[in-house]
Amino acid sequence: MPEFEPIAGRYITIDIAGERHRIFIEEAGRGPPLLCLHTAGNDSRQFRHLMNDGAVTGRFRVIAFDMPYHGRSTPPDRWWLKKFRLTTESYIAIIRAVWLALKLERPTVLGCSMGGAIVLKLAARYQDELAGIVGLESSAYAPGRYNDFLHHPAIHGGELCASYTYGLNSPYSPEVNRRENWWYYAQSGPGVYQGDVYFYSLDWDAREDLKQIDTARCKVALLTGEYDYSCTPAMTEAVAAAIPGSRYRLMKGMGHFPMIENYPGFRPYLLDALDHIAPQPK
Amino acid sequence: MGFGIMSDYPGASWLARYRERVNGDVELDVIGEWFNTTLTLTFGERSYALKIAKGKIADIVASPRLDVRAAFGFAAPVEVWNKFLSPDPPPLYHDFFAMLMRVPNFRLEGDSLVAMQNARALHRLMNIMRETGMPDA
Repeated sequence: MPEFEPIAGRYITIDIAGERHRIFIEEAGRGPPLLCLHTAGNDSRQFRHLMNDGAVTGRFRVIAFDMPYHGRSTPPDRWWLKKFRLTTESYIAIIRAVWLALKLERPTVLGCSMGGAIVLKLAARYQDELAGIVGLESSAYAPGRYNDFLHHPAIHGGELCASYTYGLNSPYSPEVNRRENWWYYAQSGPGVYQGDVYFYSLDWDAREDLKQIDTARCKVALLTGEYDYSCTPAMTEAVAAAIPGSRYRLMKGMGHFPMIENYPGFRPYLLDALDHIAPQPK
Repeated sequence: MGFGIMSDYPGASWLARYRERVNGDVELDVIGEWFNTTLTLTFGERSYALKIAKGKIADIVASPRLDVRAAFGFAAPVEVWNKFLSPDPPPLYHDFFAMLMRVPNFRLEGDSLVAMQNARALHRLMNIMRETGMPDA
């Protein structure tokens, strides 16, 4: 028998804010759902190590999907007639549509970077329908990443976006993994990373929403890498300070992409965060 | 001139090592064919113009005068470069894009469009600086 990985990928067509979207979803494992959100301009391949880890998939049904326009998800009809711009509300609509289409009951939602941002808003708005959130590189407010060159006719967007994000990895993470993430970034469609950063750096501000999160109803675990200069540890510390009962850990020697840049280094922090949200029976 | 011991930073032997590394770099061989420009590196008060041809350093001009045309350059105080070049760079000093975002006295000068058109090879060029190690000046 061929030695397949335990990850299975499928496609589903769903309505999101009045548009039909063909979405790529992959999953592995059994148990309560753990829904994973990739970073800006990337796709669900970032979670391949997590989805191959029996310590996670033995406890959770791990699901990751490509956002519309990203990875193997198809842009909606007439995409060529509008500029791709992710917003806080459109991002929530996408996640909610996938969540409901898959009938996920009390999922834990784990997101990184822009995914680590939006999970804060999910926790504020849907706390009675969530087991918890795991925020990787989570900030409530993250200006400074948007620029016109990310989608510009005189610049190779794939190479710029990939190089622009490469230094967000820790210099201590294995080069082969950092380079893999570079490749995924280089594969995103024209303007997609910029459209995501529009959300992350221009539209996003959840500083007031944090006050509504009740960790007695929705558990909150936050993990940020020491070398993350987009969402610095200080930015996540500010989030943690605003959410009583949240659990924050600094990941020493880690960067902005823990699940792909250094999974062995990330793994103890991840398992600890998952234990915080879903304590294992003794 | 009375600039003190740091005026030679990063020093002739470091620049020679750096040039040798760049010109022997396999990756720049792969990606550098269209990397043709002149950029300046300014370490405190000391400036150098690097003439890049097909991803190789063809020449390094110390203290370039006004007849050396450079498209863009990076400038920072020596203390900033020392952090960037240290074997254990502190967070925010480990990558030139990180410094551009978070270290106010690390500056991109000149035409940023040319810099970003060459982002991939330029990033490699700057990372080879880190691999060259600490200056001995």
